[in-house]
Amino acid sequence: MIPDIVSSLQGSFAKGAHSELRAQRSLARRVVLLGGNLVGNTRSDSQGVCARVYKNGVYGFASAADLSQDAARRALETASKNAVFLDERVKPGKGALPDIKSGSLPPQPDFLDLEQKRYLDFVNPIDEYIKSKYEHLTSRTIVATADSMEKQIVTSDGYAAHILAPRAYVYVILNSQTKDGMPVEVFKAFGGPGSFDVALGNPEDIHEEIDALYDHLMKKREGVFASAGLKTVILSGEMSGILAHEAVGHTVEADLVLGGSVAGPMLGKMVASPLVSMTDFAHTAFGEKVPLPVYVDDEGVLADDAELIKDGKLVGFMVNRETGRHFGMEPKGNARAFAFNDEPLIRMRNTVVHPGESKLEDMIKATEDGYYLMYTNNGQADTTGEFMFGVTVGYEIKEGKLGKAIFDTTISGVAFDMLKTVDMVSDTLTWSSSGFCGKKQPMPVSMGGPELRCQVMIGGK
Amino acid sequence: MNRELQAAKQALEHLLVDGVHDASVSASTSRKSEFTVDSGKFNLLRTTLDHSLGLMAIKGHCRGTVSGNSFEEEAIKAAARDCIASAEAGQPDEAWEIAREGEGSFVSGAPEPDMDKLFTRTKELLDSVKAEYPKVMLEQVVTAHTTHKSVYLNNHGVQYESTSGSYSVSLMFSGQEGEKSSSFNGAYLITDNLDTPFLELSNIRQNLADAENQIHTKPAEGKFEGTVIFTPDCLGSMLYSLIGNYVTDGVLLDGTSLWKDALDTKVVDERITLSMNPSDSRVVNGEKYTGEGFISQDFDLIKNGVLKQFMLSSYGANKVGKTRAPNFSYAMIMQPGDTPLEELIKNTKKGLLVSRYSGGAPGTGGEFSGVAKNSFLIEDGKVTTAVSETMISGNLAGMLKDIVGISKETVEDGTGSLPWLAVDGITISGK
Repeated sequence: MIPDIVSSLQGSFAKGAHSELRAQRSLARRVVLLGGNLVGNTRSDSQGVCARVYKNGVYGFASAADLSQDAARRALETASKNAVFLDERVKPGKGALPDIKSGSLPPQPDFLDLEQKRYLDFVNPIDEYIKSKYEHLTSRTIVATADSMEKQIVTSDGYAAHILAPRAYVYVILNSQTKDGMPVEVFKAFGGPGSFDVALGNPEDIHEEIDALYDHLMKKREGVFASAGLKTVILSGEMSGILAHEAVGHTVEADLVLGGSVAGPMLGKMVASPLVSMTDFAHTAFGEKVPLPVYVDDEGVLADDAELIKDGKLVGFMVNRETGRHFGMEPKGNARAFAFNDEPLIRMRNTVVHPGESKLEDMIKATEDGYYLMYTNNGQADTTGEFMFGVTVGYEIKEGKLGKAIFDTTISGVAFDMLKTVDMVSDTLTWSSSGFCGKKQPMPVSMGGPELRCQVMIGGK
Repeated sequence: MNRELQAAKQALEHLLVDGVHDASVSASTSRKSEFTVDSGKFNLLRTTLDHSLGLMAIKGHCRGTVSGNSFEEEAIKAAARDCIASAEAGQPDEAWEIAREGEGSFVSGAPEPDMDKLFTRTKELLDSVKAEYPKVMLEQVVTAHTTHKSVYLNNHGVQYESTSGSYSVSLMFSGQEGEKSSSFNGAYLITDNLDTPFLELSNIRQNLADAENQIHTKPAEGKFEGTVIFTPDCLGSMLYSLIGNYVTDGVLLDGTSLWKDALDTKVVDERITLSMNPSDSRVVNGEKYTGEGFISQDFDLIKNGVLKQFMLSSYGANKVGKTRAPNFSYAMIMQPGDTPLEELIKNTKKGLLVSRYSGGAPGTGGEFSGVAKNSFLIEDGKVTTAVSETMISGNLAGMLKDIVGISKETVEDGTGSLPWLAVDGITISGK
């Protein structure tokens, strides 16, 4: 763990300004096996200290790639000067930020930073398993990754904390081709929170799921193009999670609301079917710890859940301290920074659509003509709520039964229109936590949801 | 000796222990000063001082790499140990290679910032947008100056030192009218001086004007095959996908590239010449040397429709028996055509003018489908309404075989130069 270099500097915070001081170390480990060749074998370690000072409505920020008290002091001084530079020129004349709870949390337990050999010892047998078992592959790629953030946070009036957040994943990418020679690909991430040994266990633990992935690939080889147009679809939990994050979550981030997001005028209005509720959870959801828990954010706010949609009605935004004041909402711990040299931004944490009461098999049976969309490779949305997600594994539904696999395609829609078409919500919750959200800075986020039946535009022929 | 060179020399010394036959180190320091404007108001002045240290060792033909950001001797020693341990854990592969010769010292751009002038130019941009584009909401503007000092050394005596500085401007914006808004759009540019108002650089004026005209939209009607004119901004992202799907290490090593056997053959329309030219005068602080220690040289990726070069690293090149790419700058220069943009639009019976593509990563075959964002319908030679909920699908390589024309106008944003490109055979589907 990094030494405590920030706690003792709380006394040197400038009077009349709100100050934050953060020391941080971020680790990333990665190996890539492509067709049996080790094409990536990297470790990175980044550490430093930063300070942010709020004065009259503007912020000054400074950072240095140095974990020392001297560097922390210099960062505080420079951040204060930067705040003064802007204040003198802009003269926003805003007062102090509203008070938040103060206190401190005990340090979280340390984790094991494994040597590089351990990652290779995991991917090599996986590669051997795939190579020896599956006949119809044109190529295979196995990627092992582990990343972690360790932060010491001290603020002038909030919570102090020493946080550790490791996570680890193995990605399996399988390629084949159709009989016409068209390449087809599937991939899946395995793993979750914790160090690599905790998140992944043994290589053979994921054999069964790799078999299932290969089965999808073989069906995709015999696949068909989706028929373009507005269709009834059942989104998997993974897909509804990305919908929650991309299409709804971003539009209700307060900075984007101020920037003109479609959600601004919708507060208090019905934006979805009454079957839909959505929350950005801090650390515990439905009685269980979430994949990427946040206990204190980088502004020193003690984290709590941010309720966004309740029974179809938009009930809240995600705010930081400054936008919380603007909207009259209490900050819930959404202000997070990625690296030591990044300023906190409003970010999602563990964003989910709540499970409902339907069974997946009943949802399929009740669908005359449509698609079951299972895996996605990316998603984007904008402030109008118009979204698109890539679909890498999906199946036709014909007369209440799953049919042929479909080739890669894209779905799109407008979130607050599309959510009103949701007429069935399954009783299961699927999390995914391997991704990074991009918004000036990357950020590990988790998302999840149940299966949703709804209407979306699908690309294809 | 500067700190970067000192750190690099220390690291190289620690890497060259028993059995390590190739080793390289890159060390750099960057200083950034950055203004952030949120919702049209100055919010943050941020200054960062960062170090970066990248170590690579090849031992018994096994390669390990480590990166860190501390120039302290203990941290450098630990990084070197870690790097060698990573190499020892790896598997032998004789394809790994680093440069055997090369030296140089480079200075480019504006190494020192003028923060008062950067503030003034930023404020001028905000004021001008407010006055000239009243329906535009600037969601975020980030302007910055970055100075970068870097050193590369390897055990074969290759040594480069580089100092560069540049200003960058990044905008996110949308058109707003009451409760209606356009999709957000973005613009990014880099420049080595503050002589010109930011509004006059790159394609910013056109993008802002377009945002005001994209507030009221309607979906395209039905499904049809039509012409799509990609703006330079959008063309750039499509070309990135094309390169990733057909000519880079990953797809050539795993054999999934449809162009794997296409070198020196015609792969796209003969009017297309696409080069990677970091030394072009329109490119600010272009790449001087590659991460593998080779001097960067301009090259044609596609010349008159013929694939001339893969974007291969030296490792990838050795594995597939081809030549490595002479640079990795992605400083894309596409040869303009001789048709005015206005003419390209006039000649389009039915199609779209697409400024931004929001879609899934194209499949390995290059099939893409996604949403046409910040886009307009073209009907009977005229730009008519802005569209929403309209998807386009096609094939990356296929559409470049089926081009209608290339504009004579180009846009330069400091990273390259691209024209507007009109292609046929794209499936356009609305409601």
